[in-house]
Amino acid sequence: MNAEVLWYLPYIVEGICWTFALVFGGLALGFIIGLPIAIGQVYGNKVVKAFLNVYVWFFRGVPLIVLLFLFFWGVFPAMGMKLSALTTSIIVLGLRSGAYQSQIFRGAIESVGEGQVVAAKSIGMSGFQTIVHIVLPQALRIAIPGWTNEYAILLKDSAICFTLGVMEVLTRTRYVAVSTGTYLLPYVFAGILYIILTYAGTKLFNIVYEKYRIPGLIGGEGKYG
Amino acid sequence: MDNDIVLKAENLHKSYGKVKVLKGVSLEIRRGETKVIMGPSGAGKSTLLRCLNLLTKPDKGRVWLENVELTNPKVNINKVRAKIGFVFQEFNLFHHLTALENVMIGLTKVKKLPKKEALRKARETLLTVHITEDLWDKYPAQLSGGQKQRVAIARALAMDPVVMLYDEPTSALDPQLVGEVLQVIKELARKGVTSLIVTHEVDFALEIADEIMFMNDGKIVEKGPPGEVIFNPKHEVTRKFFEKISKPYGVGKYGVLERISPSII
Amino acid sequence: MVFWKEFLPALFSGIVATLKLLAVAMPASVVLGVLLGTVRVYGGKIVKTIATAVVVVFRGFPLTVTLLILFFGLADFHINLTPYWAAVLGFTLCGGSYQSEYIRGAIRSIDKGQSVAAKALGMSKTQEIIYIILPQALRRALPGISNELIYMVKYSSLAFIIGVPEMFSIAKTFNSQWFMPIEVFSILAIMYLAMTTIVTLGFKLLEDKLKIPSTI
Repeated sequence: MNAEVLWYLPYIVEGICWTFALVFGGLALGFIIGLPIAIGQVYGNKVVKAFLNVYVWFFRGVPLIVLLFLFFWGVFPAMGMKLSALTTSIIVLGLRSGAYQSQIFRGAIESVGEGQVVAAKSIGMSGFQTIVHIVLPQALRIAIPGWTNEYAILLKDSAICFTLGVMEVLTRTRYVAVSTGTYLLPYVFAGILYIILTYAGTKLFNIVYEKYRIPGLIGGEGKYG
Repeated sequence: MDNDIVLKAENLHKSYGKVKVLKGVSLEIRRGETKVIMGPSGAGKSTLLRCLNLLTKPDKGRVWLENVELTNPKVNINKVRAKIGFVFQEFNLFHHLTALENVMIGLTKVKKLPKKEALRKARETLLTVHITEDLWDKYPAQLSGGQKQRVAIARALAMDPVVMLYDEPTSALDPQLVGEVLQVIKELARKGVTSLIVTHEVDFALEIADEIMFMNDGKIVEKGPPGEVIFNPKHEVTRKFFEKISKPYGVGKYGVLERISPSII
Repeated sequence: MVFWKEFLPALFSGIVATLKLLAVAMPASVVLGVLLGTVRVYGGKIVKTIATAVVVVFRGFPLTVTLLILFFGLADFHINLTPYWAAVLGFTLCGGSYQSEYIRGAIRSIDKGQSVAAKALGMSKTQEIIYIILPQALRRALPGISNELIYMVKYSSLAFIIGVPEMFSIAKTFNSQWFMPIEVFSILAIMYLAMTTIVTLGFKLLEDKLKIPSTI
């Protein structure tokens, strides 16, 4: 084993910036795409639903790596766009995460009781108002645990972007391993790094969840037991 | 030990945290006898019953089944439990097995009977509790409460236990289904199945019990023939309890439970 | 066209390699998942700790890292696994760890009364787990397990990074020779969609077949 590996560990840690760009970029884009899809799948008409179902089926059914290559080498160049590996990765992660997040939000919206909607209508709220003021505030809270899970998944999926050469943690780890000829240590180090990031992120989201939890809401217990 | 005594408990104590549920309970039951335990909620009746087959481990005290001491750690408790039939308030039928399979599983896996014999015995026992063939392949979720409990009784009975323990067998049932279960228990008792029953059903107890044990606050306050304990109790607590039960029915000629036909007393 | 005449047979061999990988890794991961999940509920302190450590590590490490460790990392210690076996082991450990969580949750969701009733009949703990608890827990965990197995079909594409000649690696090689990325990767996408759809339908049928009948 080559002890000089240890000198390169900070280089690997720097990759976290790119990893976060991928993860939070993907999460944000996924949210912007996913929430409207969920609303469409619950409240939309047959045509809208069919279209959305195809989107979700496609982006959940095709492996991430295939999507990355398809878009980076195929779709974007064909559209005349010259996007960097990082940008392409964030877009692809976002499109895909949107498909997964839509299912999380859909489940959350559907679990907001029917009674809530009926009550809103009875005081004269329009459909739009009902969704914005009554359903979503509850659904978004219910969705937090599932969404936190999506963070953990995206974090691990971001490693796949090394195949496009994005300078995130795994790409750097591979460079270090190959150039020092030591493989086990850097990879285990990277793995532990991912575990720490997952744990830290999940903890953070749990704190947010606790802060916004409504007593008596499905899954929420709060101080009213 | 007297050969006729099948189940005996001596000085049972049990606490859950700071709460003392059993404060030194002793009892014994002889072959063929039917005894009923009654008392207010929280008196420790269920806990007592569960200590008798060590589903709950008593803090202090000993239990014997025939000549075997269950509370002795060297004893194979599974073998002993196979000889005690236990019927739960919430039935606890195995969800993933049909009625017939529920009754068979103890026979094949615990008693290691060959499948043919287990099948025959299971069918026989189910018919004894009036569960007809059309119900044998149904799953618990497809049965009514009364049917579920009767299958549960069959499951315990098929093991040919030395004694049957019933823990409030009808408390979880809708009123119109209670009768069919009590009827089965009565028939078994009359056939000579040694039975220890925890119940709130006073009529039933009067009809079937050789002895009623009244429990309150972790102790057996008094015991004796049903007529005595219910109508002529020695202790104030006992009297108050049975009075409260009778009040909904009104006070009749005999002081309590106007519905009782005179011939029983 | 020449391209298709060469691409399709090659892709077919890739599909076979993918299936060979999944045929072993899928059942192995379920077995491991049941083992880990059961041990984490019923095991003694030492076994529980080991099982928990395995689950934490292989759920926490990205699959890519796990594969690289098994293929390249172990080689540091002269343990040289072939790409195929490194991949099988990696998928089994990763998939099994995720599945163990579903199974663990399912076991804990079985009402206590089932366990008490089994004890009352005189069943030993082992008998209770095998004949009463697991048959019910596995049915409950089935949606989660099938979900993970569908993921495995898709993530099998990552086996390419340690040199397994499965579907993705064949496609990638073809693309670098013929440079027709839209055609190559679209066909590949369709293949994966077909596979995941078939597996999803398969599990739906299995779920219906194993469902415990009720009047509800």
